[in-house]
Amino acid sequence: MSNPSEINGGSAVAMIGKDCVAIACDLRLGLQSVTVSGDFEKIFQYGGNFVAFTGLATDVQTVSTELRQKHALYEMVEERSMEPNTAAHLVSSMLYSRRFAPWFVGPLVAGINSTTGEPYVCSFDSIGSMDVSHDFVVTGTATNQLYGMAESLYEKDMSPEQLFETISQTLLCAADRDAITGSGGLVYVIEKNGKVTKKLLKSRQD
Amino acid sequence: MAGLSFDNYRRNKSLEASGVLPPKTTSTGTTIVGCKFNGGVILSADTRATAGMVVADKNCLKLHRLAPNIWCAGAGTASDNDKVTELESSQLEIHSQWTGRAPRVVTALTHLKQHLFKYQGHVGAYLIIAGVDVTGSHLFSLHAHGSTDVGPYLALGSGSMAALSVLESKWKEDLTKEEAMELCSEAIMAGVFNDLASGSNVDLCVIEKGKPSRLHRGYKQPNQRLQKQRNYNFDIGTTSYFEAGSEVFYISKQSDLETSAMEVDQVS
Amino acid sequence: MDTVIDQLPKSVDAAAALPACVNGLPNFEFPSIDTPSAFLRAFTDDASNPDVPIKPQHGTTTLAFKFQGGIIVAVDSRASAGSWIASQKVKKVLEINPFMLGTMAGGAADCQFWERWLGSQCRLYELRNKKRISVSAASKILANVTYHYKGSGLSMGTMVCGYSEKNNTLEPEIYYVDSDGSRVAGQLFSVGSGQTFAYGVLDQGYDYNLSVEDALTLGKRAIIAATHRDAYSGNSCNLYHLKPTGWVYHGNYDAAAEIWRLKEAEGSFNDIRTK
Repeated sequence: MSNPSEINGGSAVAMIGKDCVAIACDLRLGLQSVTVSGDFEKIFQYGGNFVAFTGLATDVQTVSTELRQKHALYEMVEERSMEPNTAAHLVSSMLYSRRFAPWFVGPLVAGINSTTGEPYVCSFDSIGSMDVSHDFVVTGTATNQLYGMAESLYEKDMSPEQLFETISQTLLCAADRDAITGSGGLVYVIEKNGKVTKKLLKSRQD
Repeated sequence: MAGLSFDNYRRNKSLEASGVLPPKTTSTGTTIVGCKFNGGVILSADTRATAGMVVADKNCLKLHRLAPNIWCAGAGTASDNDKVTELESSQLEIHSQWTGRAPRVVTALTHLKQHLFKYQGHVGAYLIIAGVDVTGSHLFSLHAHGSTDVGPYLALGSGSMAALSVLESKWKEDLTKEEAMELCSEAIMAGVFNDLASGSNVDLCVIEKGKPSRLHRGYKQPNQRLQKQRNYNFDIGTTSYFEAGSEVFYISKQSDLETSAMEVDQVS
Repeated sequence: MDTVIDQLPKSVDAAAALPACVNGLPNFEFPSIDTPSAFLRAFTDDASNPDVPIKPQHGTTTLAFKFQGGIIVAVDSRASAGSWIASQKVKKVLEINPFMLGTMAGGAADCQFWERWLGSQCRLYELRNKKRISVSAASKILANVTYHYKGSGLSMGTMVCGYSEKNNTLEPEIYYVDSDGSRVAGQLFSVGSGQTFAYGVLDQGYDYNLSVEDALTLGKRAIIAATHRDAYSGNSCNLYHLKPTGWVYHGNYDAAAEIWRLKEAEGSFNDIRTK
């Protein structure tokens, strides 16, 4: 357990629905076996883009802050909002710029393209390889469990309400089989019209 | 490549010294082939990306456009392939604008091999480069350390042995376009079915003299997911959550952006 | 020697399914190399090598304490291999016989095997001597084993609890026995990765004169506290009460449900985010 990606624990998942996307994360921050906090949010908002970072907590904080700076600069220089695919390429470039000395993070990007209305989710490895998906993406210490849950629960074209149930159950059930993921969950459902519903899940606290 | 930052290098190196393993990266664990025919050249690839034993992406694109007339297929580390081809395509574009000519395949090849050699194999891109230019049609392979190879048909990646078994037994000179497409897809299918790190679909790209290149995304799809035997639709309201911890808000639209104060102003 | 045991057919002897006995102990073969324990560690210690081929299950909170009404034994039920939760409903209290309980922390297989073996030794003692074995004697049999195999890779931290006859009265006893060969008598122990959290609750709430009901509540409360903070403890709590007449099982309590219930009832667990 001296693997930096598994010191603090944590997982995230994002899913596409009909004219909506959802992104969810757990809230645990641990130091090896000890749960230090149950209020460590791993999803960050950049305009209409929601980015989850899992991995080493110090790197999560550094990279998310650095992305905040780059996002703000983009909007100032370009005088327009950033689209999800642009955000994804930005994350990819940031990670690849440290190809030989990476950040120990596994990001996810979720959002809806403001011109096409297309929902967008994308996952990355720690050096910026992009995996643009048309259904769901997962990351974190419960990756295997999340893949198993998502592959069986996911359906195409879910409504925002149905998508919330599916992504929540995917996260919750995966967390039940990972000792270092859990202590609460946070779900964002983003709809085409710009409506965002943020919900704090009532989850197991052991 | 300006700006690769090594800031974390010493930190990560000392972590490694204390027994920490470097993070898992996405590998293309791939079968890619290229094959010449009379009139052009074909590239083909499978679409599986893996991270260890996990299939990270079931339908990724391993065929990259370097220029309208030059394409390449990549095996090895996924992000290295994406970035090195992205970089090369922009360099070729600049080069062709500067010279006022369509780029040549050897230009791309030489430029890429110099880049990869510089990184001594640490940039893990294994490429098959194909294209047509004023000197004819070309097919090259390029290894991460910078060595290159030429041939009428080539295969690379973990499934290259399976692919080569098809190419070696069925390739002949003066293939027609249709024959070459069939041969390439059959070679990739050999990788898809016999190499565990390759899988899903076959992508194929045809580059012909005097014609626009044509990418056939999902040229063969022999691994379509079957209809699930049952669906798990949870009733709305299944998941319990805290009303107090929940909120609804709206993403600000572009018009808001122009009029709203800058973030830095709000802080002070 | 015409004891009952000697008349039993050989196939009933526990050794039939075990390695041959030497000096009354099952004798395990070691790989024929210089340092078998280093060899075993290289293949089973996931702390030093995350890719080991054999990942033993560990991570636990167990506790036992004496009080005026007997002994309370409480444990969690999670089995983990690395961060993977291998089981959510492990029985970590091993019922050695109707009067003695053993707890399980460390390697699940080691504890299960040796405590079951201990049960058979206790039964043999009864048949030979026509009286129940004392807890001190039983725990010493186990400690002799762990000392015998010291350094060869056994991993167990256990509490042997029960009533023994002393000066013609029945006395409650708890012995802590571990794979280092330690054997310590005491009136309150907690063992496992979550032990510090359990001790925190026990130390502030423990009193020898606790009523049975309060003692059960305290034992459960300490386990629940540990499941909350320790990643490798959780899922549920198994509760036992040892009396002179034998042990009584007091049920299985889901840790998640208990935490939410306690939060509401006691106003505790205020670190949990609800908004």
